[in-house]
Amino acid sequence: MRKWQVLIAAVFLFAALFVPLLVPTDYTLQILFRVFLFAALGLAWNLVGGYAGQLSLGHAAYFGVGAYGLALFSKLGISPWVSVLLAVVVAMICAAAIGSVSFRLRGPYFVLCTIAFAEVLRLVAKNLTNVTGGDVGVQVPLLFTHSPIRSFYWSGVLLTAMAFILTVWIERSRFGYYLMAIREDQDTALSVGVNATRSKLWALLISAAITGLGGALYASMFLFIVPDQVLAMDISTEIAIVAMLGGAGTLLGPLVGSVVLESAAEIFKNVFKEAHLLIYGVLIVVVVLFMPDGIVGTCIRKLSLLKKPPAAPIGTPVLASTEKEPQHLAINE
Amino acid sequence: MGNWLYALLQAIVNGLLTGALYALIGMGMALIFGVMRIVNFAHGAFLMMGMYTTYVLFQATGISPYYQFPVAGVLLFFVGYATYMGLLRRIRGQVDFMVILLTMGLALILVDGAQLVFGADYHQINIPLLSKNIRIGSQISINAPWLVSFALAMALAGALYWVVTQTMFGRAARAIAQNPYAAPLMGINVHQVQAIAFGIGSAAAGVAGALLLPVFYLFPEVGNQFKLKSFVMVVLGGMGSIQGAAIAGLVLGIVENLTSLYWGNEWALAVDFVLFILVLSLKPSGIFGSQRA
Amino acid sequence: MSLLEVKHVSKRFGGLKAINDVSFSVKPGEVTFIVGPNGAGKTTLFNLITSVFHADSGSICFDGRDISYLTPNAAAQLGIGRTFQLVKPLRNLTVLENVMLGAFLRTSSTAKAEKEAANVLRFLGMEKVLHLPARGMGLPMLKRLEIARALATQPKLILLDEVVAGLTTSEAIALAMLLKRLPEWGISTIGGIEHVMQVVMRIADRLIVLDHGNLIADGQPQEVVHRPEVIEAYLGSKYKEIAT
Repeated sequence: MRKWQVLIAAVFLFAALFVPLLVPTDYTLQILFRVFLFAALGLAWNLVGGYAGQLSLGHAAYFGVGAYGLALFSKLGISPWVSVLLAVVVAMICAAAIGSVSFRLRGPYFVLCTIAFAEVLRLVAKNLTNVTGGDVGVQVPLLFTHSPIRSFYWSGVLLTAMAFILTVWIERSRFGYYLMAIREDQDTALSVGVNATRSKLWALLISAAITGLGGALYASMFLFIVPDQVLAMDISTEIAIVAMLGGAGTLLGPLVGSVVLESAAEIFKNVFKEAHLLIYGVLIVVVVLFMPDGIVGTCIRKLSLLKKPPAAPIGTPVLASTEKEPQHLAINE
Repeated sequence: MGNWLYALLQAIVNGLLTGALYALIGMGMALIFGVMRIVNFAHGAFLMMGMYTTYVLFQATGISPYYQFPVAGVLLFFVGYATYMGLLRRIRGQVDFMVILLTMGLALILVDGAQLVFGADYHQINIPLLSKNIRIGSQISINAPWLVSFALAMALAGALYWVVTQTMFGRAARAIAQNPYAAPLMGINVHQVQAIAFGIGSAAAGVAGALLLPVFYLFPEVGNQFKLKSFVMVVLGGMGSIQGAAIAGLVLGIVENLTSLYWGNEWALAVDFVLFILVLSLKPSGIFGSQRA
Repeated sequence: MSLLEVKHVSKRFGGLKAINDVSFSVKPGEVTFIVGPNGAGKTTLFNLITSVFHADSGSICFDGRDISYLTPNAAAQLGIGRTFQLVKPLRNLTVLENVMLGAFLRTSSTAKAEKEAANVLRFLGMEKVLHLPARGMGLPMLKRLEIARALATQPKLILLDEVVAGLTTSEAIALAMLLKRLPEWGISTIGGIEHVMQVVMRIADRLIVLDHGNLIADGQPQEVVHRPEVIEAYLGSKYKEIAT
């Protein structure tokens, strides 16, 4: 399952690099940029929400901090790319603060807490008009002066590739196993020595860094941002749904989710015009009711059922095996 | 006597008046959360539906919202009941997040639906009561509609409390809240009780919407701010406690008005969340709760 | 030189005193069993030793260090492994992955963790189910999985809470025979059991009896079960038959 997902993603991302040479309009490229941006954001969210099972609805906080970081640091005279770096650092600091409060909570309290933090940031951005420009907004420097639309598109693909590779590496590492254990049963994880708080915080820091970077790119492409655009709960929701629709906790999920969701949104906007949000709502309801594992998750589940049924009966008799001489155990050597 | 004192008192009075309405909304949410641990993201949309229902009826018949609010209540009861039975019941086994997503999707459908039907414009109604003001002393004035809605909200809150503590339904609901595994073993039809609880909670939101109509403006997304406020109230009040949410509502109203007075309107919304985060970090079981979060 | 020393530990929950002034120590290489009727406080004691919660008074020392106020993961890192009375497998992972989780405490390499986990599972006779999801396993297998996961952390002391509850007598005895070998690998064992005395009597070096949070006996199994206060706590004479 895993190798297939990596292969599909690799081919897809490689092919994606060539798209600007074929696609005529800037408008289409902008939409495709959004597809890859949200794939990357979904992958970032997936670390915390999918693998660690901490379902955050406040990722707009990091997105917005990345966006505003770029805008405000460069207003101070700092060069754009250094501003991006600083913005990402600030996003990570926010993650440390938000995580240390939120991760102490379980279940719906955790979700509500993440929402609250993001909303506070949004309201702060709206109200501190001297610093952020408030609802009027603030300018953002252009990161790519050379054929900007294409460059933004490629940066989106690159960000997605980075996030994907990171996920692949984490999934097979001790860190990844620890995250999954925390998701399945935190008490069990603690009993085998997992420092749950530390692991969750690290996952969030990494997630926030990628999300902040995405926010900076997004802001730069629009050249102008307002709080209700980059810090809105809509962004948090979209990120989470992209990952869940595709399949939280899977490698390919966020990628598939973004392609499906963003194309669907685009189609809805053109076909249904006024009712596109309603259709979006219907889509969410349908996914939750009938495909809770997401597209990729459901596929994986169905495919694994097609495999040969397990050979060992449940409850293999214990007596026979205990008589055997056990293999060498590396215990307390 | 200093002006600052009267300004303060006025803010507190205003806070209590708005707080009563918040309390009604919060109690509805607390009932749902307490019995089912469901965070209902469609709560605001239900309030909006109550508001539009009342608006349409008012435009058609001219009957004051303060008389026809039961209609909104009954309608939203059935909407809530159907939402539970038709949608939420199917995903009971799953993590809370799925419930949040589902109710979010529902809210989107309802809000966008309202926009399609009624348009995105703001609506307001005018009733004679709006121009009447009641004075307390020489410096404090209360806008009459707010007093009426205060009285009604408090009465309904009391009724809700009575239902939860004195009726068989209330006892069953509390049993489920305390031990969802043992409750069905005691012969409680869990789904039925939960559907009714969801219905009553939604009805509370609908009625609050009706009471809000004269003093607020109506537009499709009007429910959003109240939805978020009701989460804050549930957490502040503690573990789905109805009384806690009611008191939290009053507290919220007062705190918001005081913030408005001293720091300006823009910060009033933010203070809700700051309070929320403070309570979650310092006393997650809520100001009135005793169990752990 | 004691491995674990529990000194005058007390713990109350609201009005209930769950553990009342309990003291005992465990030497390296011992197989100790804590027995007592349901509610006697065995699981609470285990939770105190692993810092799931902290004692109101008294202290607990492990390997010379005070471990009274740690966190569960710190206790595991120091070398205390445990299983839970209600098994807690990670349902969506395979048996092997479950045990790898334990092995990861001692290595950060996925390959090494896999090998170590496979070794432990082979020791427990579970090689046939390595790659099956934990979700589909029956209780005997899940109990072994709990033990395997704890063993993979290479503990010096392993706490087994009701590890044979729910197994048939022959399954329980077979598992017990396996556990008796743990001291050969330098693992001291504390088991908490409420009723399967046949198992206890076969493999225990020492027996501690708890009743309503009080330690009422501590000594050789054969001798302890004869004591009047122990028999009184259990209100049963069938244990006398096994002992004699």
